[in-house]
Amino acid sequence: MAPSTTVADLPPSSTTDSFNSSAAAEENDIRPFFVLHKASSGSKSTATVKAKRRIESPSPKLAKRSEIESAGEEEGGHFFSTLRFKVFETVWSKIDNTIQGVLRDSNSKVFSGIHDWIWESFESIRSSGALSLSEAVRSYPVLSQPSSKQLFTALVLTRNLEMVDDLSTFEDLGSHLKSQGCHVAKLSSTDFSAKNGVGGCLRGLLRQFVMPTVDVADVTILASWYRESGNDKNPVVVIVDDTERCSGSVLSELILILSEWAVKVPVFIIMGVSTAHDAPRKILSASALQRLCATRFTLSSPAERMDAVLEAVFLKPCSGFTVSHKVALCMRSYFLCQDGTLTSFVKTLKIACLQHFSLEPLSIMLEHFCQDNQLPGEGTALLTEATMKHAFDLPSVTRNKITRSTCEMLPQFLLDLQRMPNPWCIVVLCIYEAGKFDKLRLLDIFCETLDPEARYLKYFSPPAILNSQSNVSGRTSVIRRVLRKLRDLSPAQLSSLLKSWERLTAEFSEINDKVMELHPFMRTVEAAGQRPGIPTSPKKHASRSNSKLEKELKAMTDKISAVIEFMLREYMKPVETVPFHEILCFKNVDKLQSALLGDPRSRIQSDLLESHNILHCMCCSQRGTTLLPSMHDTSILYMLAQEHAEVINLHDWYQSFKTILSPRNSKAKTTLKSKKRKDRCEEPEAPAEASIQARFCRAVMELQIAGLIRMPSKRRPDFVQRAAFST
Amino acid sequence: MTREESSKVTRRSTRFSSSSVTVENPEPNPSHHPPTVSDLTFGEESITLDALLSNFPGRRSQILDLVRLIGPLDSPALPVIAYGDASTGKTSVVLQVFRHLNRPFVYSSCRTCCTPRILFESILNQLLLHRKCSSNGYASAKRCDKPSDFVNLLREALSNVVETLKSTKLERKSSMGKMVYLVVDHVDLIKDWDKGAMILQFLFGLYSVLKMPQLGIVLISGLSPDVYYSNVGYTDPLPVYFPEYSEEELRQIFLKNQVNKKLYSAFLDVVLRPLCRVTRRVEELSTTFSSLFRKYCEPLDDLAISPNEDLKRRLYSNLKPHITSCLNEIFRVSSRPHDGDTRGERRQKASYSCEKGEQLEMLDFHMSTSAKYLLIAAFLASRNPATLDASMFDSTGGMDNRKRKRKASEKSMEKKEMAEQEAVMKGPGSFPLERLLAIFQCIASVGDSSFGDDAEEEGEEEATGYDKESNNMMSDILLQVSSLCDANFIIKSGSCPLEGSIRYRSMVSEDLSLKVARSLSFPLSKYLYRR
Amino acid sequence: MGKENPAEKALNLIRGRLCDPTFVFRPLSGSSDSNYSKLKFIVSTSITEGCNNSILLLGPRGSGKAAVLDLVVGDLMEEYPDSVTLIRLNGLLHSEDNCAFKEIARQLCMEHHLLFSKMASFDENSQFIIAMLRECGLAHKTIIFVLDEFDMFAQGKQRLLYSLLDAMQSVTSQAVVVGISSRLDADQLLEKRVRSRFSHRKILFLPPSREEIDSLLEHLLSLPADSSFPSGYVSQFNEKIKSITSDTRFKDMLKTFLNANSTVNSFLKFIFRAVSSMNLESGLLSLENFKTALSSMQRQPKLEAVRDCSILELYLLVCMRRLEVKEQNSYNFISVMKEYKTIHDSFQTSDYYAQNVCLRAFEHLREREVICYAENRGQSQAGEYRPMKLLISASELHQGMRSHACCPAILLKLLDH
Repeated sequence: MAPSTTVADLPPSSTTDSFNSSAAAEENDIRPFFVLHKASSGSKSTATVKAKRRIESPSPKLAKRSEIESAGEEEGGHFFSTLRFKVFETVWSKIDNTIQGVLRDSNSKVFSGIHDWIWESFESIRSSGALSLSEAVRSYPVLSQPSSKQLFTALVLTRNLEMVDDLSTFEDLGSHLKSQGCHVAKLSSTDFSAKNGVGGCLRGLLRQFVMPTVDVADVTILASWYRESGNDKNPVVVIVDDTERCSGSVLSELILILSEWAVKVPVFIIMGVSTAHDAPRKILSASALQRLCATRFTLSSPAERMDAVLEAVFLKPCSGFTVSHKVALCMRSYFLCQDGTLTSFVKTLKIACLQHFSLEPLSIMLEHFCQDNQLPGEGTALLTEATMKHAFDLPSVTRNKITRSTCEMLPQFLLDLQRMPNPWCIVVLCIYEAGKFDKLRLLDIFCETLDPEARYLKYFSPPAILNSQSNVSGRTSVIRRVLRKLRDLSPAQLSSLLKSWERLTAEFSEINDKVMELHPFMRTVEAAGQRPGIPTSPKKHASRSNSKLEKELKAMTDKISAVIEFMLREYMKPVETVPFHEILCFKNVDKLQSALLGDPRSRIQSDLLESHNILHCMCCSQRGTTLLPSMHDTSILYMLAQEHAEVINLHDWYQSFKTILSPRNSKAKTTLKSKKRKDRCEEPEAPAEASIQARFCRAVMELQIAGLIRMPSKRRPDFVQRAAFST
Repeated sequence: MTREESSKVTRRSTRFSSSSVTVENPEPNPSHHPPTVSDLTFGEESITLDALLSNFPGRRSQILDLVRLIGPLDSPALPVIAYGDASTGKTSVVLQVFRHLNRPFVYSSCRTCCTPRILFESILNQLLLHRKCSSNGYASAKRCDKPSDFVNLLREALSNVVETLKSTKLERKSSMGKMVYLVVDHVDLIKDWDKGAMILQFLFGLYSVLKMPQLGIVLISGLSPDVYYSNVGYTDPLPVYFPEYSEEELRQIFLKNQVNKKLYSAFLDVVLRPLCRVTRRVEELSTTFSSLFRKYCEPLDDLAISPNEDLKRRLYSNLKPHITSCLNEIFRVSSRPHDGDTRGERRQKASYSCEKGEQLEMLDFHMSTSAKYLLIAAFLASRNPATLDASMFDSTGGMDNRKRKRKASEKSMEKKEMAEQEAVMKGPGSFPLERLLAIFQCIASVGDSSFGDDAEEEGEEEATGYDKESNNMMSDILLQVSSLCDANFIIKSGSCPLEGSIRYRSMVSEDLSLKVARSLSFPLSKYLYRR
Repeated sequence: MGKENPAEKALNLIRGRLCDPTFVFRPLSGSSDSNYSKLKFIVSTSITEGCNNSILLLGPRGSGKAAVLDLVVGDLMEEYPDSVTLIRLNGLLHSEDNCAFKEIARQLCMEHHLLFSKMASFDENSQFIIAMLRECGLAHKTIIFVLDEFDMFAQGKQRLLYSLLDAMQSVTSQAVVVGISSRLDADQLLEKRVRSRFSHRKILFLPPSREEIDSLLEHLLSLPADSSFPSGYVSQFNEKIKSITSDTRFKDMLKTFLNANSTVNSFLKFIFRAVSSMNLESGLLSLENFKTALSSMQRQPKLEAVRDCSILELYLLVCMRRLEVKEQNSYNFISVMKEYKTIHDSFQTSDYYAQNVCLRAFEHLREREVICYAENRGQSQAGEYRPMKLLISASELHQGMRSHACCPAILLKLLDH
């Protein structure tokens, strides 16, 4: 929830406020995974306090004015902001749907696999012979070979340390299996607490399966329920989504109990394992492990999902919204370094989109991109004089010397802006295809190819290639790795690469021709490849033909790399080099940074240090370093705290606070009294000792809530400890 | 009549007023009969003693003992306890004996009945012929959780059953006698219940408390009776001991229901001896054998052949590696053919030694870079003594820690011994959060070089772009710590007595942390303090 | 009924005798100085004189305290019909006061055909009991409270004992409290206020003498010469018994057994075991039966446990033993594994297994209670690091390994040094 609060800390404009609320509402559902951001709650509190102040501040219209001017230069911003908000919603919903679709596809295969596995094993169990009711609900086990105590278990490896992405996955899995007729119950680590013991989770199972009022944790209930009204037509599935967090002893006990009844109630356990595959062995007791007959299912790793999402959102025609090189890098490093969850990535994307709309007036154009109708006619109709002017002040426009005279050709620009990304996307995808042999991530390629002053081109100068071969650390550049990898591809791989390129470039003739040209060579290579395949051929022939093959291959790879170079040089126009790209491209990396890892504590401190930027009052904005009584108590106290060392003597602190508030410098006071704090100090000129003390206490309390100071300890009752130092 | 009254009162008092009205309530669907006394017998047709003996190789003496102790029809019996190691056939032997004798009995397992209340109620339900079903809200016939109530209810129920038995005895020719037997399984689990000692004592004393010769009691325990002495003295039941199966008996057991006995015995010749040295539990062996036998039969096209010598030899030669792997595994995870990775059936080795080369250098799950550094930091924090941090992580990034290390290790031999033993006893050391974060920042800053080009492509301006990252990174670190805790890589190990702060402890195995370090190309071994 | 073979009938008869304590203890109660007559004297006087009394029956478990008491009460109920009310409590069930009062009230209600309500509170019950005591006292009915497992009633606040004994101070009431306990110091457990109200009459139950045992044998095993058996069989059977009991080997057996455990009950178990293994074809007992019974009664569980171990588990045990010999004060799984490794390195043993397999073996040993964690605290710590200790002595281990089916010789060597 840090981002939402920091969005709140942006220079307040009506639009961002509305966004913020919506965003906050949206973030709610992932709040639980940001538990340790408690610190930011502190920032929230102070923020609300500030809001209160702002309302209290006696000059509302003044505050309003400042708001408006801070809300950016656009005139009639309100109309546009509301409109933009609408457009944002359409755009984002489109992106969101795309992402959801991608994720669904990525899981579907595994889901069906699990489903098949369940039914196969279920059939095998039933085929071993159905039990009569009296047998099935009997208290003693059905006697058969020891293997009958085995519990079928699926270990679903969510290859990600974080659980965030996978909770939804397991929800989907559960509903998927339910829709297939299985009885599904979902237990989470909270049910496996050592305090409640096995009774707790059994009760949980019974309540989900049998009826919500069961209060006895008795498995026989499950058995007799299973025998009733055709329940036994379907398998019973128990999903434990985060195995690592369960208390091992309880889980083992549950497994032992269920395995006692495995013949009567065929239970299938699905365990989500977020770390290594042998995690269960670390948690469960040996006897419990003994009972598991485990099968492994592997979900697609977050990186793979990430690539799929990227491809769908940025490289396939989706919404038209895109990001600049810097932003992409930032998002990438956030993904790699901070927390590698797709959820957070999507969040980042959303924030970026949000801010794009809040900052870029012309972003309304995106509407036409996402509902891709080819005529931006009414789009231009929206272009009032003001927006026109704004459009032609865009740096990209001025850079490209496009003058107002060419105004009427704006739609033209927009048009090719709209079709611009396609060749670029195609090239990126081609390189991705080539990179797949080296397990390259689309994310890296994407980031590198977005680079506006295409540095990657310098790898094509022969010396670069040479030294690229010389230095071994191949991780510096993606393109370089692709080129190097090309050299040791087998003919088969090459041909498959060509085919995929052909497929990709189908609707883009210029590249397609180039690719087509390669085919004849490919054939010769393959021919060369065929010949030595016969084992009977004498050695030297083979060797000679091999050498020949080598040559062929070399030539081939050179051609291919030539084609790559051609593609890069001709068609790889990064979006940032195109005029009017500001309309669809979000560039402001710093805002994104601050919004993302909104480092709440430092922000609180900075806000406290210049509070007047937030409560826009005339009184203390023009001050230098002097502390004025008109300032907010908390910020006064905090600034005073700056002067102290690690511990602050409360008394001294209070004294200095009092000296500032006390009306000795009465003229400043009187000038301010009129507008400042009417409501809070009804007392006569000199604020009474009591009220000062009260305000002091209140301010200290706020500082403590904000996590900036620690309350006095037993040992030194008259000292508070500074918990935060100016960053 | 007072009983009636009182039981009415009970009903009023209990919450299951609806349920416990009738004992033999008709089943919802008429397909199956309402339960009768005869349901208390094993149900299926009884088997002869010879069949029984042949079913359980190596259990002859125990079976005969049990049959004798339970005794002929209608002869009172002292309580019996059958004890022995896990999966030595205690439960099945006892049940089959009752099947053979065709006597009415009540079975409750303390594994399934995990609280006294459930145990008592399940016994009562069976005696009262009460069956939980949706029509009675899956409730028990009587609610009772105190031993005192249980005794009264049990007495009542038993006398009812015995009455009905007497009456049925007349018209039925294959008589069930007029005794009821109570079988309680997994008695040893009761020790772990709360007030378990009390319950145990009660259970052992039940016979003398009830004073009903019509009740025979058979306890089944995984522990020998003498471990219960620790609670209190009691009149211990007659013991029947189930020893582990010998190798020969195991062979017979596994050969019992095999289609191609010759082939399987050849297989057993190969595998049984080595595996017996590890464990002799039928359960564990059977799971291993099932997979091994599949391997064994792979080269064969028809499984009906009787193998000759050289065939055996060939089969053995291609089974050999699998045996050694099986010896060192306790948990097997197979993977679906059409599942993502094609590594096929894969074994969990203790030592990540063979067949998983690529597993060795790459991590098979995703961690964010900061989480990785945090993991390493935790690993270091719990391996290295806190006093060495300063020397390890000074500005030179632990370059000179070799010298210091040598000094440390050249102290004196026996003290080193002691320290080592100490360390082994303590396990991974615990550390406060502050130390973790400090180490984290050190190694993160050291690893920045590798970090930098991990995050970005080129040197110059991305570097700046990066270290903005790295000092912002602290904001999310606590989050990372929590997720590491969730993954059991770090565990909270109580709070330190001196300052109340929570201390952590890293549970990561060395090779995992090495893997992580390798994925970051971080020189972990340089920082590890070896004693 | 007639067609069932006499041997089985005899078997049933004898088993019935063995399971019926009153039958068993009847002969022991003959002599004038037996516990039976003492107890009967006390109780009957308190019935006839209509006074209160309290007695403790002390003795090891299975020495027939409850049985003798039952005999006494039974006889008294015949002598003085409808002037004796028996209330039985058991420390195992009713040790906590509330439940005990409830139980007393319930039994009183049943006795006097009153309506008993489960809902009655503690106070109501106690008042009810006091009232009943007075009523019975006025009606010259004696209430006999039998408190089995007496020591358990002395655990809590002893409110039950106090209120009972206190009520008995009043002249009107007429009751006898008989406590049965296997703790000889049971009366020392009582609080002062209770002890002061308790008449310290104790009856001690001693193990039976040889003569008593012999008479008991005779009494238990010999078949009655009535018509129900074919006469030839009876005489044959009894002859056999005589020959066995007079056999010196049998006497030795009996001696060894009684040295181990001398109470009547264990003796009964012994006989029961022997009888139940009687051959039904011949229909006669044999010395063999007693031999097998004896062997099955004297067990050495620790040895059995060691014999059940697999080779690997034996290795672990030996390693732990060696660590103890090195007087390493405490050790855990990791250090055991170290020892295991050193053994392997020095001797190149064939069975050196991976750590997780050893861990499983370790768990097996633990659930078999051959080893256990040294202390309970430190659950947070992973099992490998918790300190362990052996639960069997070196000699037991040694003996067990010697008698083990396939214990490699190297292990024994390692165990010695």
